[in-house]
Amino acid sequence: MAGRAAQVSIAGVLLVIGMLLVGQLRSQARPTELTQLSSQDLSTLIETLSERNRELRSGLSDVDEQLREYRAAEAQGQSALDVSREDLRRITAFSGEAPVEGQGIVLAATGDLDAIALNDLLNELRNAGAEALAVDGVRITAGSVCVQGSSSLEIDGVAIGQTFTIRAVGDPNGLLAALERPGGIISQLKLFVHATIDVSQSHQVLIPATQRSLAPYVAKPVD
Amino acid sequence: MSERASRSSRRTRPRKRLRASWALSIAVALAITGFVAAAQWNSSIARQQYTTSAQQVLAAQVVALEQEQKTLRDQLAQANTEVQGFQQESAGSQTALAQLNRQLAAARLAAGLTKVTGPGVIVEIADSKRPVPAGENPANYIVLVDDLHDIVAALWASGAEAITINGERLVSTSSIYGVGASILVNTAFLSPPFQIQAIGANGLLDRFMSNPAYLGRVANRIAAYGLEFATQETGSLTLPAFVGNTRFRWGVPTEGS
Repeated sequence: MAGRAAQVSIAGVLLVIGMLLVGQLRSQARPTELTQLSSQDLSTLIETLSERNRELRSGLSDVDEQLREYRAAEAQGQSALDVSREDLRRITAFSGEAPVEGQGIVLAATGDLDAIALNDLLNELRNAGAEALAVDGVRITAGSVCVQGSSSLEIDGVAIGQTFTIRAVGDPNGLLAALERPGGIISQLKLFVHATIDVSQSHQVLIPATQRSLAPYVAKPVD
Repeated sequence: MSERASRSSRRTRPRKRLRASWALSIAVALAITGFVAAAQWNSSIARQQYTTSAQQVLAAQVVALEQEQKTLRDQLAQANTEVQGFQQESAGSQTALAQLNRQLAAARLAAGLTKVTGPGVIVEIADSKRPVPAGENPANYIVLVDDLHDIVAALWASGAEAITINGERLVSTSSIYGVGASILVNTAFLSPPFQIQAIGANGLLDRFMSNPAYLGRVANRIAAYGLEFATQETGSLTLPAFVGNTRFRWGVPTEGS
C-alpha cells in the first residue's frame, strides 16, 4: 500500500517534470523568439514575408502556365520543343549565362567604397527584387563577389575602379526606394565613407551575360 | 512473540535503507523540478517584460505566413518536377530533343536549380555563450547578418561552387537580409545556429580561413565576443536545389551579348 502511494507520487512528480521541461523547451522555440522581436521588426518581417509569398505565388502561376502549354502541345500532338526552348532562355537569363534587358536603375559611384560596401549595395538591390545585376561590364552571378585585389577591387577577376556603375533590372520605384530610404544603404554609406552615389531610373537597362563559366567542376548533379 | 519480534527487527533495517534511497531519489527529482520551474518562471518573467498582446498577434501572423510559404514552395517544387517530366517526354526529333535536354540540364545545374553533391566544407556559427559584460552592446554577442555576408563572400571567393545556409541554396537573385535580429535568406526566415555548407575543390577550407573577406571582420568578432564557430571539411556534401521564383517580371532575355 505504501509502495503504491510512493509510485503514485513519483509518477506525479515525473509528470510535473515532464510538463515543465516541455514548457521550457517550447519557450525556447520559434514563436517565443518571434515575440521577443519588437513590433516594428515583426511588421517588417510580415511585410517582407508577404512580399516573398506574393513572388512565390506569381512564380507558381507561371510554372502552371508552362505546364498548360506542355499539356496543350501534347493534346494536339505537337512538339513541345518550343516550350522547352523558352524555358532554356529563361533559365540562362536567370543564372547570368544570357544577357537581359528591361526597366531598372543605374547607380553611379565615385569614392572610397570598399569591397564590403559594394557587396552590401548588391545585396540590398537583390533584396529589393533586382532580377539581373552588373557592375561596369561584369554580370553578377550567384558566386560573383567583390574582393579587394592587390591593386583594386575585383569581381570575377575583373578590376573595378574607384568610379563604377551598377546596373539593375527590376521595379525602378522599388529599387530606388530601397536604396534611398532614410537610414538605408546609401545614407549609411555616406555617413561612413567619402563617396558620391547617384541613382537614376531607366526605361532600358542592359545587363550583359557573364564571361565566366558557371558549370561546376566538382559539384555533380543528383537525380 | 519472540519470533515475531526477531522477524520484525530483521525487516526494519533494510526498510530504513530503502526509505533513505527513496528519499534521495525524490530529493533529486524535486531538485530538478525546482530548477526547471525556476528556469521556466524566469523565462516567463523575461518574456512578460517584452511581450505585448500586439506582438503575439504579429508573431502569429509571421508563423501563418511561414506556413503559407512552405505550402507554396512545396507546390512550386512539384510543378517544376512536372515540367521536367514533360521536357524529357517531349515528342519531336530525337536529336533535337536530346540536345535541348542536355542544354536544359546544364543550365539548371549552372543556375542552382539542381540538387548537387561533392566535397566541401561545413561552417557553423551561433550566438556567443559568454555573459554580456555590463555596459556592452548585447548585439555584439549575437550572429549578425554581416557575419553571414562575410562567410559567404569568403566561400565564393575561395572557389565554392554551391552554397546553402540552413538548407537555403544561394542563387543569382539571393539576398541575405537582416530584419532586426532575424535573418532572411531567399524567402525564408532563419534562426541561429547558422550552418553554411559549401561544395568546392579540395583545400576550400584553408582558402576560406585565409581569405580577407573572412579575416577582415567576422574572424575578429568570433575572437572578441566568443561567437560559437566551427568548421569541418568533408568528402561528400549534398545540397538541395533552389526552390523559389526564377521568372523575371521586369527583365527579358536578349539574344547575343
